[in-house]
Amino acid sequence: MDLKATALLKLIYLEMFGHDMSWASFHVLEVMSCTKYLQKRVGYLAAVQSFRADTEVLMLATNLLKKDVCSPLAPTMSLPLVTLPHIITSSLALSLLSDLLPRLSHSNPNIRKKTVAALFRLALVYPDTLRSAWPKIKDLLMDEDEDSSVTAAVVNVVCELGWRRPKDFLSLAPRLFDLLVDGGNNWMAIKIIKLFATLTPLEPRLIKKLLPPLTNLIRTTPAMSLLYECINGVIQGGILEGTDGAREGEEIASLCVGKLRGMIVVEGDPNLKYVALLAFNRIVASHPHLISMQQDVILGCIEDPDVSIRLQALDLGAGMVNVDNIVAVVERLMQQLRNAPIAGKGFDDGRSHGVGVEPAADSDGEDPEETLRPASDSQDETTALPAEYRTTIIHRILDMCSKNTYSNITDFEWYIDVLIQLVKLVPTTGRSTLELYESGGRTLKNLSTSQATDASSAIGLELRNVAVRVSTVRAEAVKAANSLLSVSGGEGFFALGGAGGEGILTFVAWIVGEYVDGSVSSYHSLDSLIHPKVQSLSPVVICAYLQAIPKVLTSIVSQRLLDWSSEHKTMMSLLVVRVIHFLEPLAMHPSLEVQERSVELLELMRVASQAITSHGLENDRGPLLLTRAMPQLFTGFELNPVAPTAQRKVPLPNDLNLGAPINKNLPRLLQLADQGLLAESEAAEFESFYNKRPVPTVSIGPAFDILPSPRPEASSYQQTGESTQDTDAVMRKRNERRERNKDDPFYIGNDDVSSGTSTPFHDILRSANGEDVDVDSIPIMNLDLGDKILTADASDSGTQKQKRKRPKKFEIAKDENIEYENPAVAQSDTAFVRTTNDNGSLHRVRDKIKKSLLQVDSSGLGSFPLDTSGSAAEQLDVERQEAENAEMAKALAEVERLRLEMQRASERIQATDGAPAEGTLVKKKKRKQKLKHSAGDIEAPDGNLYPEADNDLIRGSYDAEAIPVMKKKKKKRKPAIAKPDDKKEMESF
Amino acid sequence: MINAVLVFNNSGQPRLTKFYTQLDTSVQQRLISEIFTLVANRPSSACNFLPLPPLLATTPSAAATPTQPHNDTPSLITYRHYATLYFIMISTSTESPLALLDLIQVFVEALDRLFENVCELDLIFNFETLHATLGEMIVGGVVVETGLDKVVKGVREQGKVKKRREVGLSAADGLGVVGGLGMGRGWR
Repeated sequence: MDLKATALLKLIYLEMFGHDMSWASFHVLEVMSCTKYLQKRVGYLAAVQSFRADTEVLMLATNLLKKDVCSPLAPTMSLPLVTLPHIITSSLALSLLSDLLPRLSHSNPNIRKKTVAALFRLALVYPDTLRSAWPKIKDLLMDEDEDSSVTAAVVNVVCELGWRRPKDFLSLAPRLFDLLVDGGNNWMAIKIIKLFATLTPLEPRLIKKLLPPLTNLIRTTPAMSLLYECINGVIQGGILEGTDGAREGEEIASLCVGKLRGMIVVEGDPNLKYVALLAFNRIVASHPHLISMQQDVILGCIEDPDVSIRLQALDLGAGMVNVDNIVAVVERLMQQLRNAPIAGKGFDDGRSHGVGVEPAADSDGEDPEETLRPASDSQDETTALPAEYRTTIIHRILDMCSKNTYSNITDFEWYIDVLIQLVKLVPTTGRSTLELYESGGRTLKNLSTSQATDASSAIGLELRNVAVRVSTVRAEAVKAANSLLSVSGGEGFFALGGAGGEGILTFVAWIVGEYVDGSVSSYHSLDSLIHPKVQSLSPVVICAYLQAIPKVLTSIVSQRLLDWSSEHKTMMSLLVVRVIHFLEPLAMHPSLEVQERSVELLELMRVASQAITSHGLENDRGPLLLTRAMPQLFTGFELNPVAPTAQRKVPLPNDLNLGAPINKNLPRLLQLADQGLLAESEAAEFESFYNKRPVPTVSIGPAFDILPSPRPEASSYQQTGESTQDTDAVMRKRNERRERNKDDPFYIGNDDVSSGTSTPFHDILRSANGEDVDVDSIPIMNLDLGDKILTADASDSGTQKQKRKRPKKFEIAKDENIEYENPAVAQSDTAFVRTTNDNGSLHRVRDKIKKSLLQVDSSGLGSFPLDTSGSAAEQLDVERQEAENAEMAKALAEVERLRLEMQRASERIQATDGAPAEGTLVKKKKRKQKLKHSAGDIEAPDGNLYPEADNDLIRGSYDAEAIPVMKKKKKKRKPAIAKPDDKKEMESF
Repeated sequence: MINAVLVFNNSGQPRLTKFYTQLDTSVQQRLISEIFTLVANRPSSACNFLPLPPLLATTPSAAATPTQPHNDTPSLITYRHYATLYFIMISTSTESPLALLDLIQVFVEALDRLFENVCELDLIFNFETLHATLGEMIVGGVVVETGLDKVVKGVREQGKVKKRREVGLSAADGLGVVGGLGMGRGWR
């Protein structure tokens, strides 16, 4: 046996290095059953290290464990206690519970404290443990003569349980309070403070009680960890917000901040710096002004050599920026980006790197680089920054600036300048990300999610956002976009692409295309758009380019063709031929999307070139196709930002059948087309081109995607009668706006707005730059969609802006949204809100699906009441029944509460849109009924059980009782398990 | 609670692995190596808190939401570097980072007392004691004892015969654990 134990010990050691030892599990069991303590210990150690839930011999171990738990020797007894938490399963817990419970009153404190911890783990897999164990644990806690280390252990366990079911622990507060005040054990004090932090939200009176001792501790304690946790508890427990007297709250807040500042400045210990920043990060949400006062320290931390401290400071920076300090903070970050050297930033390096990664084009391609970079940086650790950190900085800068739709930014020209500079500072990793989402199916959704990770696309997105939302700086944005495009001309092109800037090109091309009127030199941008080098870019970018080309071309044409002369004619035909020349190779591009778009465009261009050549010089105006038809393709509406939820609210047309073939005699049509029926094919081509919206448009406004494209001439837009359905809020807003703009010569009344073309508005806005023109005069579009009406409304952000005094006023367009008509739509929106909101219940559901590694699943505890009476050990079945009913009711109430919460949240979102209240109310009632119904179902069988319960009352003996209870418990579990389903069901509304 | 306690040396060889949840051996190894790469690249001046390694960072959104300040996901990695060894603790947000640092300190001091001037070699040849010490301090992820004296006392009670420290010094003797459980020589 000695030999075996030794061998096993070696095996354990090898297991540590990653060698599987599951084959030896039976031998482990053998050694565990040794009589000699030391051998036994080896066996138990092996069990701890190697047994998994699916280890079969675990069943055999049950008896052994039972025996050892009851062993007369303390060391032997503690072996299974220490081992159990690692190997516990619910069946094992069931059979061992009765043996473990008496150990809580063992004479040896060592055993007692270990038992408490073991019972905690038992409870995690088998929540019923607590029902019988909790009273005893509570006694241990309450007993003032108890060994201090046992008390500490109990407090630890209580703390772990506490955040899961804070309600049940409120009754312990007085005792815990005493322990906190005169405990003397720092570890325990920390734990108690942590527990109190979760309790205070439930019991506001605690705050007042806690404040003096906490303040006292903060002032006096020499232990940094305790000090920090006190502050942390103050923050997390909502004590800062919860204090009645504003003076007291401010006092403790400034005391905390002062102490934290001290931790950063005086101590110079990186750990303290880190945790202090962590605490700042928590305060910043509620007390940004206090943090802003610490700006100097925090900015100092941004320069800290330790990257994790920097990251924390960076997060903090994003939280504390306001109108006054944003420029300083961003400039500082930019400086950091500029000054710090980075491996492989140079163009040569960037290019070779790009080539190296290109063929791989998968996610793994990135990994080696990421792990290598920090390694190479650590050699000169003072200044060099890892690429991920740079990316984070860029993202943070963008976050800071775009917070609350640019409420912090006063100078958008400066912001555009920052964006342009950032493009040059993007680390090289961007490229591979771009490649990644190309290869992995280029659906739009895919595109937009991976964009989030790519710094340069993020910059592009910002630039586009600014261009769309802030009409006054649109010209600057377009100019910037143009310059970025022409950087791309010639050799610089590749440099940009290689440096990871490729992601931005998509957006830049869109801006140039969409706002071409404002661009200074359309010729120039067309030149860069049809540069031959473009063809070597990635398909995503080419697609964007392809959309931009006709727009730019059209604008040139419409500008020039008003007076038609021979020189214009040659110029035009030259341009068109150049475009055709550019498109021809692309028509055979490997990427289908590029191919499709270029073929479409190519045909249009050919028709255009024909029109030019056939058009005689005798007319004083250019060919109709170029002057009228083509511009109409692109100048239909001003594109406004649309809220991401808007798409969901577009009701599905009843007659929409996605399964039906669009055209049943497609083959015949193709045949006809082959026969060269030019007129028809032209029309079809025209149609298809027209109906296809440019992709970038789609990505800002998904709602436009499925709407039938608005035809400028369509008379249906004049049907404003339906807009009477608009809710009061909108009407009021509109009236206000009308009132405000009554005297404004530049304002054109609402009724004229729906005429379809909005270009005059655009011009008006531009010409009135600098005056008090409201962005609200952006047309309110009424798109006809079957019977439903959609109102896209540019909300008035102007009112609050006007009050601020600024040298230059910027109007920022907010997201547009669509209001509801009927409950059905409202519901679909609620469902959406549920999926987007970070709702607690959702988290839980998701957590269940995707459990993190190492995570202990304690969800079973969540629905477990601990507030049973002191005599619960001998609790009667009747009581249990009641408790379970109560539990069930509680669970149902919880479900109801969550649902209400969600609804409220969604209503809040709809508030401005004024959702019809009746629709949601009806829904609520229905739901309640349903819930009641299911509750009734559960109660019904319970009724039968009561007589049995009376019998149990007589029996009452401890051991006999445990078994029937378990059985019933299993029955009971079922409805409890069904609960998540309820939630899911609700979500599908 | 504490999710795992790891000890490895400067070259990433594990000296102690204790996971308080059941994990596959291969996953354990991957986690160790990921954490090691993170730890090894940090300058000594850096703070003792690690960002989550990719293996653990799968649920970033679960980190402390306003409604629920704590949850079950490990969110905190604390480490401390002593001579040739890294001590790592992975824990949830219910633990205090600074207190964990102190806990590691207590652990190391306890080992130091047990082995009298502990070194890596002691831990290799007496890793059972190492486990026993940890077992006195943490049971199932819950800290049960933070007092140095009590920890040492508890281990000594169990071991009865205290480990000899010459084991560490003269490993070739192959004495190993007293009580006949000699751990042979020649294995790493």
